[in-house]
Amino acid sequence: MTRNDNLRAFATRNALGLAMTVFVILFAAAEPAFLKPENLIGILRSQALVAIMATGMTFVIMTGGVDLSVGPVLALSGVVNFYVMDAGWGLPLSMSAAIATGLLIGAANGTLIAALNLPPIIVTLAALSIVRGSALLLGGPDLHSIRGQPVFTFLGSGQLFGLPFSVVIAAVVAALMIFVQKLTPLGLLVAAIGENERAAWLSGLRVRRVKVLLYGLCSAGAALAGLIQTSQVHTAAATYGEFGTELDVIAAVVLGGTSLSGGTGSVARTMLGVLFLGILNNGMSIMNMPINLQLIAKGIIIAGALAAAQRSAD
Amino acid sequence: MAGNALPLLQALGVSKSFGAVQALKPCDFRLHTGEVRALIGSNGAGKSTLIKILTGALTPSSGEVRLEDVPLPPGRPDQIIRRGVACIYQHSNLAPALSVMDNIYLGRQPTRRFGLLDRKRQRRQVVALLQTYGISLDPDAIVGTLPTVKQKEVEIAKALALDAKVLLMDEPTGWLAATEVRKLHDTIRLLKAKGVGIVYISHMLDEIFAVCDTMTIMRDGQIIAETAVANTNRVEVIEKMVGETLARESQAAANHDRRAAAAGEVRLSVRSLGRRGVFHDITLDLHAGEILCLTGLIGSKRTELVHALFGSGPRHSGTVLLDGKAVRFRGPSDATAAGIGLVPEDRHRDGLMLGMPIRDNLVLSILKRFVRLGRLDRAAITRTAQASLSALNVQPPDLDRLVRQLSGGNQQKVLVGKWLNLGPKVIILDEPTVGVDVGAKAEIYGILRRERDRGAAILVVSSDLEEVMTLADRIGIMVAGRLAALRPATEMTMKDVVSAIGAEPGMPAGMA
Repeated sequence: MTRNDNLRAFATRNALGLAMTVFVILFAAAEPAFLKPENLIGILRSQALVAIMATGMTFVIMTGGVDLSVGPVLALSGVVNFYVMDAGWGLPLSMSAAIATGLLIGAANGTLIAALNLPPIIVTLAALSIVRGSALLLGGPDLHSIRGQPVFTFLGSGQLFGLPFSVVIAAVVAALMIFVQKLTPLGLLVAAIGENERAAWLSGLRVRRVKVLLYGLCSAGAALAGLIQTSQVHTAAATYGEFGTELDVIAAVVLGGTSLSGGTGSVARTMLGVLFLGILNNGMSIMNMPINLQLIAKGIIIAGALAAAQRSAD
Repeated sequence: MAGNALPLLQALGVSKSFGAVQALKPCDFRLHTGEVRALIGSNGAGKSTLIKILTGALTPSSGEVRLEDVPLPPGRPDQIIRRGVACIYQHSNLAPALSVMDNIYLGRQPTRRFGLLDRKRQRRQVVALLQTYGISLDPDAIVGTLPTVKQKEVEIAKALALDAKVLLMDEPTGWLAATEVRKLHDTIRLLKAKGVGIVYISHMLDEIFAVCDTMTIMRDGQIIAETAVANTNRVEVIEKMVGETLARESQAAANHDRRAAAAGEVRLSVRSLGRRGVFHDITLDLHAGEILCLTGLIGSKRTELVHALFGSGPRHSGTVLLDGKAVRFRGPSDATAAGIGLVPEDRHRDGLMLGMPIRDNLVLSILKRFVRLGRLDRAAITRTAQASLSALNVQPPDLDRLVRQLSGGNQQKVLVGKWLNLGPKVIILDEPTVGVDVGAKAEIYGILRRERDRGAAILVVSSDLEEVMTLADRIGIMVAGRLAALRPATEMTMKDVVSAIGAEPGMPAGMA
């Protein structure tokens, strides 16, 4: 009886890990190539961008908010970097400008949300449109190819310790954010704001400032992802980070057990959610499933995993 | 009232226990046809327990409720409402986007064949109902666009559509302006003329004297007085609500714990502070080493005043000086940085992180102190939290326990402890012992006296006169947004306080 209960408690607590194991076994059985090291590393590389964006998004969602504008910010960052680089200002400056662009957009989102008390979903939806428009205004419809920038190319295509450099960056960002969450005051502030924003404010916490910072961080993460993507494909374009980017990021965060109503959440578990999505995408592709079926299956599996996560939270 | 006739509604020997706690001692309650009976008592007196038994939301531990001498099924709200006992709650239960007509028949619209709505019949019935009771409402108006008082009337009409014989009204005027209150009272008088029995639950004595025939006063889980409104007055009612003898005893017990008033230097000096339409011309000095209790009726704007002091509510005129320097806090973080803490009235909504452990709650306002090179010093946090845990005697003494899992008294100790960790110069507490058991109450008083003796200036807002008489070094009384009196507690008897509280708004407080 108790053993059964313990088993059930374990299963609900680790529903995501168990589901991941099941899919790995399933995919490996159907297609042994799935387990080849090159494929596993491929999964990591495919998810590096989502991982970077999902760390900042975890904090935003923990405060009961959301950021829908990550896709266009990713695109704009790449375009900004291209133009600054193209003007001959050098890599450090162009990359800083791209990240700063993200930071500013996020801070603007955060300011509107925190100071004017506007709903995050509306503010960032507006930002999604405005930033996409700005990126198109700046970059036009063309692909801007990047050549003769070996250092910049290394960002997305280089190797370090046998791993793609983008994966190393994602791992460093994730480690940094896990550190922030677990060992700095910011981690506790984020949890407190998500748990009870009014009580946090009445406790003397600088709620607005924290929110501005969090949306800034989230957008800066999207900007970094934009740099990496531009580097991977050697081109910048205003159309990158197409519709659906933000949904993948949000799905990863929520799969990791972060509550959409705020409060509980963990960057480490978000990374598990990112991995889960990566395995799903890769496994279905490797089994040659057509993309239309892939999308349908992915939606069903995400909904199912969320239902399981919800039950374990109750 | 026709005292000999068979009562419309009667509760006979009803009581309610939750585990070892008796929330309601066995009591009888009667309501006659066409009677408007006030039900009053301070928070925790047992009013809501009694009401919940009448509506069926709670099953009584003993006794029974009869409507027209037929027993009502205990604990079956659905059946009780159909038999004709309806309750109108403080917060609206209406669908704001629907019309008056649809709200009145929500969920049980008359239908034709195939389940289609019979709009014509529905309209006929609504018009007839409104006419019968003389309520003027447009059946097609969208409820959300109506003024609050009209929405109350829709709720009343909804109850009447179910043939309500008894209407329980819980703080019905809480959200209404004065003119709207009069309109609602007119409606109540119409219902009364039609023979509906009404229980009017309110803290507003003015309203009770305006509209009620009789009153039932509750205290400490029992009915302590029943009287015709015509035979009593405000002072007498307040005395009965708080229990004069009890208060006198606790005052005597507290006297040797009292400090000579105004012992230390002035910490917080409030000069002609005002907020438009809410409070006016508040002038008081809060000294180091004293406990100043602000009391008054609910709605006398004490909470709004303390939030203005803490930077969490607006102020429009006057000045506030902290240690002689003018301060204007833009938010609670400014007040906290200056050494002021506020324990808010609603600890669940405004005070605590219920889903977080005791440890985090205790240090939330002083996190900066634990930062070493950008990192939180977890060990130091645990040491600090552990120390306050023992000083406050929180049960169970487990830092990892979620605050949600604690009893009300222990939750309140954690909330108080959070501010004590600030080492505050000024600590403001709004109704610090509401929903707190007697033992924890005494402990909280002890904690506050220790802080006072350490030199903190303590401002307590309390509607509990027993608490005021026990705890205060000085007593301030607010009437309708003005400070009507401010005196050393030793110079005030319970009677003085009661008559000052009950003074008519705008009249001299009768203290001089």
